[in-house]
Amino acid sequence: MSAAQILAGMSPALVKSARGLPFLMVTYEIRSAQAPSRPFGVNFPSGATVLLCVLAATLSILLPAAAAARTVKDQTGRSVNVPDNPHRLVSLAPNTTEMVYALGLGDELVGDTDYCDFPPQAKNKPHIGTMVNPSLERIVALKPDLALGTPEANRRETADQLERLGIPLYGVTASTLAGTLASIEDLGKILGRASEARSLVAEMQARIDRVEKRIEGQPKPKVLFVVWYRPLITVGPTTFIADVIRAAGGIPIEENLKGEWPRLTLEELLPQNPDVILLPKTESFSPSAEEFQSLPGWKDLRAVKERRMFFVSETIERPGPRLVDALEELVGVLHPSLAFKTGERQ
Amino acid sequence: MTFRATPRNVTVVAAVMSLLLVMTVLVSLTMGAVHLPLSQVWGALASPGTNSEAAVIVREIRLPRILLAILVGAALSVAGTSLQALLRNPLADPYVLGISSGAAVGAIFALWIGGRIAAASPLAAFVGAVITMVWVYLLGRHGGRLSSYTLILAGVITASFLSAVILFMLTLLSTRDVRGIAFWLMGDLSVTPVAEMRILAPAIILAIAGLYVFAKDLNVLLLGAEEAAHLGVNVARVELGVYILASLLTGIAVSASGAIGYLGLLVPHLGRMLVGNDHRMLLPTAALGGAILLVLSDTLARTAVAPAELPVGAVTAVAGAPVFIYLLRKTAG
Repeated sequence: MSAAQILAGMSPALVKSARGLPFLMVTYEIRSAQAPSRPFGVNFPSGATVLLCVLAATLSILLPAAAAARTVKDQTGRSVNVPDNPHRLVSLAPNTTEMVYALGLGDELVGDTDYCDFPPQAKNKPHIGTMVNPSLERIVALKPDLALGTPEANRRETADQLERLGIPLYGVTASTLAGTLASIEDLGKILGRASEARSLVAEMQARIDRVEKRIEGQPKPKVLFVVWYRPLITVGPTTFIADVIRAAGGIPIEENLKGEWPRLTLEELLPQNPDVILLPKTESFSPSAEEFQSLPGWKDLRAVKERRMFFVSETIERPGPRLVDALEELVGVLHPSLAFKTGERQ
Repeated sequence: MTFRATPRNVTVVAAVMSLLLVMTVLVSLTMGAVHLPLSQVWGALASPGTNSEAAVIVREIRLPRILLAILVGAALSVAGTSLQALLRNPLADPYVLGISSGAAVGAIFALWIGGRIAAASPLAAFVGAVITMVWVYLLGRHGGRLSSYTLILAGVITASFLSAVILFMLTLLSTRDVRGIAFWLMGDLSVTPVAEMRILAPAIILAIAGLYVFAKDLNVLLLGAEEAAHLGVNVARVELGVYILASLLTGIAVSASGAIGYLGLLVPHLGRMLVGNDHRMLLPTAALGGAILLVLSDTLARTAVAPAELPVGAVTAVAGAPVFIYLLRKTAG
């Protein structure tokens, strides 16, 4: 078996995933823009209450760390035993790390991944390894009462292993801009920061609405987002990146492509003829815009001829609280006349 | 170095190797992304009632993984040793002959039509291993006799063909499954739950014991199939038995831990250098030696880039490929 060969065959996607961004997404349906319904405050008959108390007492003897907890379904559909007041959090993905900080819980974060780089303090937290291959024993040693992750970055196996070790893992998932906001709100409820989450989400929503007004009546350029260039991989219609592009008043050229991260051949690209080409500004993405212009066929693309190739910050690849920053940045790129001036955002 | 395979010698060698294995396990238990002092490791093992973080790390993370490494290491090494004897080819190995790929195709196929990788049916992997093994064997026959180089080429070609099949199946799976499988294909000892190991362990031990029954026959078979037949060995029966058991071992090992390469190639050679060519001696040596090497490799995989982890298959391949090249040069001359 040539594992190396197989790896080489998939390296673009994997390498990018290992770099942390963008997450390889799986379409996960968010049931609605609202947080999923959960059995909060269920009334038990008194007999059951007694039984539950006995059970809880037994459990608390067995597991000294276990505080009062409730079982909820997370956004991936897993049943998770979430403690009432989690105060030792481990984040298994950069976007959940950002959410934790945005909810003002940075001090309760006891560990994150090697790729959690925002806010800068996140870099100084004890690291548990990469998203796809974290060290279980590091996680256990950090004594978390709740782990946070996302199926877009973490492996199912990791979730299974944590479950066996008795560490609850709450998974959030976001395949749209609205879904990202819903994830933040949901996480706020789980972490006991519901009102903070609500105001954060309201503020983000206001910025999204402002963008929507602003781009009204503007021409909609066709946009190619280059996830990887060799081979050319772009974003599928069901990804949050495509959603941000649409929200910024662009048309992702991949509307009729299938899958989350489809490959695109030159033959498919040429007739689409994008007006704008976006490239993520990450360390693993080395080529310059000039190098793209020298690729066969590219010099005939409208975006190349009109020099509308732009590097955008990698925030757009992270479905977290800063996704709206990426949206506003994109508005300026797609509609130069509408560029947000410094300080105008708030 | 060659020892006569008297029962006493076999016992002594097995005892010495077992002691080495125990020492390796103890060392491996103390190593990991989290530094645990010896006293805590010992405390976790000695008093099973405690539930500290150290106890969880040692008993529920490190120990099961080490036990799986022992089982898989022994399985792959014994499979390689018996295949090399059966095919009279020092380059035979479940990995090189494409059998691991066949097992992987079987396991992914099981995932593809339903189920999850953690539950990747060992049966599907086993079926894949057997089909590939028979196929390579048939391809490697030339004029009614096994031809060493044809066989190796047949194996290599089959392996690369099956890699293409795997790639094809991967493109049809969701991105999330692909990410899991990529790690599994590179060998991953971390994901098998203890409950599954309760099934794997007896199967592997029984298959190894079954192969040991053929140890004497394998010795005679080394002289050649015709000579063995003259000496009263039922060659067809031995071939069938060894084939099935070696495939079973490979299938189980791959289904539990993914494709861990070169172990089945490397260990028999090291074993022969240590104790000679008598399979009554060589098989236990290979089983224990393979266990030791895989525990060491996995310890390296767990600690080299901690807290991230390397796939253990990458570690064994990096160590095994140069040895393979060396053997190829030596046998070609």
